[in-house]
Amino acid sequence: MIEIRWDWIANHLDDVAEKTWQHLQLLVIPMVAGFIIAFALAVLALRRPGSVGPVTAVTGLLYTIPSLAAFAVLIPITGLSLMTAIIPLTTYTLLILYVNTVAGLRSVPPEVNEAADAMGYTRSSRLWHVQLPLAIPLIMAGVRVAAVTTIGLVTVAAIIGGNRFGGLGQFITEGLQTDFDTKIYLGAVGSVILAFVVDGALVALQRALTPWTRARTEGS
Amino acid sequence: MRNSRRLALGASLLASLAIAGVAGGGALVSAQDQPTVRIGSDGFYESQLMAEMYAQALEANGFEVERQLGIGARPARVEAFESGQIDLTPEYVGSGLGFYVVGSEDEELAAIEVSGDGETNRVNLQAALDVAGVGATVLAITAGEDTNAAVVRADTAEELGVSSISDLAGVADQVTFGLPPECEVNALCRGALEDGYGIAWPPAQLELLPPCGAEMAGALEGNAIDVAWLCSTQPVIAQNGWVVLEDDLDTQPAENLAPIVRNDFLEGVDGGADAIAAILDPISAAVTTDVLTELGVRIAVDQESIDDVAGEFLASLES
Amino acid sequence: MEQLLEFFTDPASWSGDTGIPNRLIEHLAIAFLAVLTASAIALPLGFYIGHTGRLQMLGINIANIGRAVPSYAMMVMLLPVMLGLAPVLGYDPRLGLRFLPIFLAMVLLAIPPILVAAYAGIQEVDRDLTESSRGMGLTERQILTGVELPLALPVLVGGFRVALLQVIATATIGAYLAGGGLGRYIIDGIARRDDGMLYGGVVLVAVLAIGTDVLLSWLQRRLTPRGVRIATELETERAGAAAP
Repeated sequence: MIEIRWDWIANHLDDVAEKTWQHLQLLVIPMVAGFIIAFALAVLALRRPGSVGPVTAVTGLLYTIPSLAAFAVLIPITGLSLMTAIIPLTTYTLLILYVNTVAGLRSVPPEVNEAADAMGYTRSSRLWHVQLPLAIPLIMAGVRVAAVTTIGLVTVAAIIGGNRFGGLGQFITEGLQTDFDTKIYLGAVGSVILAFVVDGALVALQRALTPWTRARTEGS
Repeated sequence: MRNSRRLALGASLLASLAIAGVAGGGALVSAQDQPTVRIGSDGFYESQLMAEMYAQALEANGFEVERQLGIGARPARVEAFESGQIDLTPEYVGSGLGFYVVGSEDEELAAIEVSGDGETNRVNLQAALDVAGVGATVLAITAGEDTNAAVVRADTAEELGVSSISDLAGVADQVTFGLPPECEVNALCRGALEDGYGIAWPPAQLELLPPCGAEMAGALEGNAIDVAWLCSTQPVIAQNGWVVLEDDLDTQPAENLAPIVRNDFLEGVDGGADAIAAILDPISAAVTTDVLTELGVRIAVDQESIDDVAGEFLASLES
Repeated sequence: MEQLLEFFTDPASWSGDTGIPNRLIEHLAIAFLAVLTASAIALPLGFYIGHTGRLQMLGINIANIGRAVPSYAMMVMLLPVMLGLAPVLGYDPRLGLRFLPIFLAMVLLAIPPILVAAYAGIQEVDRDLTESSRGMGLTERQILTGVELPLALPVLVGGFRVALLQVIATATIGAYLAGGGLGRYIIDGIARRDDGMLYGGVVLVAVLAIGTDVLLSWLQRRLTPRGVRIATELETERAGAAAP
């Protein structure tokens, strides 16, 4: 019923590497862009708490637009370029990153903020040196979810974009076009493995950034 | 102070990832500082094969080629061609013509005929493109063609005693049809079935699937559908011993392939359309139906890469 | 945009099997069934993890697997399997084509947010409360159902919100494999070059998703005792965005 040709995979490792690299690019660029935007909005939320509702609503709205539709809608505008994939991928990260960054910044106990003020921190240095480090666990939680979700969404881009973008999803569409099970599973399983690897890397990053919580994260 | 070092580490890690991403991302969107030809194709492997052949032939003749293969279904690819995002694309002259003229609101277009003869369709396609204002030229057609095929499993053919689509009309209620989503508005699909063969629309049992793909074939194999809309040169038909129902009323048009090229691209070429034709016409002439089927087997069954198959075929032409 | 209006004002769009009401129901049906099934799996496991504190890593890993699998890929891989099982398990192969792959992919998608909401919600309940309940002689089961669950309810609903939102948005890909629901408008709109249908589908999905989200958000607030509401607002956001 389903046959996997391992020899084909062995012969095409460079192709696999290339598609994986493209998949990573389609992950990193939207994540970085999404994070910058989400962070800016989260800082805004600190100054103007009233903005949280509308911003959450808008990012949530962007999140509901089915990726398939978003890609299809953008092709006439941004053409067959990489941008057509990157724009929706970025907007999808916004909701998760924003909600988590806001939660993270808000999770800093008020006493800590007050102590920082008393010690003479300016608002901006308090943000960067006190609030942000303490917010990292929650922010990274959001980053992890966003990253893994984005990896999944990249494969959908291949349905629309064909062989230009789609990373490992290209294997899936090509496999469907030529009825080649090996490629289909390579693309799908490859995406899952990639997601695990990226998630693991992010956990390591989080541990590196927050050594003081190491005891807690391992236990909790 | 330890915090800010951690922060710096994290920030620089993120930054370097971003830079790697942007640098790599830049490579994917290539600069166009030389006149290049952008070749695009549908997702169907046969379209990609022809496009790859054209691409390699043009490269051998000194052109720089940018490939955009596998754009998706016809509507997306046509959109890309008409909006000038690609310069050259292989087209099935029958369906391509039908796309413009059948059911068109423009009287002049609607009057153009989709025929069972390849050359006629090519000429008519050119006429249709001119009327529709798409500045493009249709070059010579391939010798072979790949038509739409209504396919059933061998046991279905036996049980219901069907060997042609006309036979199907009598038992249409008993079978599940697998048709593409665009069939409803495609007069070569729905029109043929409904007006030509008298099959009630929509069929009593209908599943919408991408045509000519693994999903359609898989659904037929798995008994989820009984009649599949496939492409005649697909190897999976012969492999499974499936039966192609005869199009006895000749509703399906001649589907030779031909390269369509944008005129604004041709203007920039030394020698214009003739120069491109001189390169591509010989290839088209050599691509017979047998060739399409044979190369199809190599790609879809043996899973050879389209690049290799195209390259080897072109090499064989020179000997 | 006129095409969009045409789509909505055409009476044919509202009637019959392919009409908007029918497609809406189909879409909601898949979404609810998937979330229900995911809950049946995720809730017991999540409550166990939250209440006993054991199997934490298992919970986290399941949540990650569920998120890592691209739904489209999952659906496509399940197709031959579901078709192949049809004669074995005795169901109509057409179910194995147009329903089972997308349904199972959606269940997988819905499990992580519900699972995490379940154990996070239970864990956030004040340990003092559970300790004193134990001291009062309540059994573990009574503690779970009588103390922890009611207090965790807002967080749970938050998990359902996220799950439902994701499923509603993603169930559209089912139409690629002969499925129904609102995704039909998107896939068919693309195939038929009918922008009105395409954008119409997008709008409908967005409205449905936001509508259910608003409803559940209201429900979430209703279920929260006032004092607890303030304290758990944070927890809700954290769990809703799924943080281990």
